[in-house]
Amino acid sequence: MRFRRDSQAVSVHTLAGAYTMDAVSQAERARFERHLAGCDACRQEVRGLREATAALGAAAAVRPPDALRDKVLRTAAQTRQVPPALSEVPAPRARDRRRLGWRPRITVAVGGALAAVGVAVAAGVVTYGMQNRLDQAQGRDLTVAAVLTASDARMMSAPVSTGGTATVVMSHREHALVFTAAHLRSLPAAERYELWLIGPAGARPAGMITASGRGRMVGPMVLSGLSAGERIGITVEPAGGSPRPTSPPVVMLSLAGGSR
Amino acid sequence: MTGSGRAPGGEPAERREAGRPEPGRQAGPRRASDELGALLARVALGDEEAYAAVYDRTAGQVLGVVRAVVRDPAQSEEVVQEVLLDVWRSASRFDAELGSASAWVMTLAHRRAVDRVRSEQKAAERERRVPSSATAYDEVAEAVEARLERERVRRCLASLTELQRESVTLAYYGGYTYREVAELLGVAIGTVKTRMRDGLIRLRDCLGVDA
Repeated sequence: MRFRRDSQAVSVHTLAGAYTMDAVSQAERARFERHLAGCDACRQEVRGLREATAALGAAAAVRPPDALRDKVLRTAAQTRQVPPALSEVPAPRARDRRRLGWRPRITVAVGGALAAVGVAVAAGVVTYGMQNRLDQAQGRDLTVAAVLTASDARMMSAPVSTGGTATVVMSHREHALVFTAAHLRSLPAAERYELWLIGPAGARPAGMITASGRGRMVGPMVLSGLSAGERIGITVEPAGGSPRPTSPPVVMLSLAGGSR
Repeated sequence: MTGSGRAPGGEPAERREAGRPEPGRQAGPRRASDELGALLARVALGDEEAYAAVYDRTAGQVLGVVRAVVRDPAQSEEVVQEVLLDVWRSASRFDAELGSASAWVMTLAHRRAVDRVRSEQKAAERERRVPSSATAYDEVAEAVEARLERERVRRCLASLTELQRESVTLAYYGGYTYREVAELLGVAIGTVKTRMRDGLIRLRDCLGVDA
């Protein structure tokens, strides 16, 4: 069992203290705020830590010069105020959330190890969702959510031999898995990647893979009705797809996980 | 006292003291910040009187944190004016769901102070600033409520491990990044990050501040 993204997720989260104290670079601040947009637990934590830093600040209170009061009040009276934000959430956060296209609480519930994949998956939801009718996408999103939040959810990740990474989050309880990949090598127009479920009885096609966007994100693709002992694999096939693999797999993931 | 002062200021501080042993969810801090939040709501409507009251409650704290970070008195005052004007301009953007009003103001203040020193950062200037929480304390007001708050914070800071305390005070009062703190303390970056978070969590729990 591998948790390749685990350390990365943890390290982003650890930044909460430094972020709250503005002890991060501009780039890290921006990155952490993107993370916050999709992480209820992190926002909750930052909120609490901010109260602590506010107390630190209050403890440093000094008596302001009397002249300052007049100056500030006078300037304020001549300064136009910013109109209220019209959406429920502050504008920057709304933008982030739209891009993520994801309900933050779902990724949080999965925990640190899966949070990173949750975000990666979420990024893909938008891409994929746009290619499908909304209702289909919503149904699929629910399955994605069910898998990601299952108590037995496991994440596995493996390098693809021709380049890129394939990641699976699976739940035996839900009999389903969520497949994503990133940075797959581009193929000539006549070829495409095909996903397979490979069991004792042979391989059954699980869908053609479409990579898109920055990072050539794939999916998430939801596969349900898994059987014990099956593996998931990718092969390069003619663009129209094949009923059975015609080339050796470029990646293979055992769905049993490490504990079996 | 600070101008027209925080007239009821001593009282919430007392209440906080009393409520401290069990981290009172609805105790002093929340109540005080509710008042500030209510004032901010009026400020958002252009109420100058409410703004004056907000000024009286926050200017000393804003100046304190800004001066701790920026050091230079003239520059500090400039930053304080910017922060307080920010409060006036963007009062409509304060969202009580996201934290207390005082945390909102202090976040604006600290961030502006840090942005100021980083944008102007020349090595020489950096050296002039002495990174010591003790120095920050030395300059604090005689105001009773400030002193009580300071005592409380000092006690809670004392409950941190040395590395946590140093990491937190260097970052918050010194305005250093965690990388700089790691360099100053000769400790691994990852360690500093964790200590900052753990230290703030412990501080939060000790202060019994409401999230």
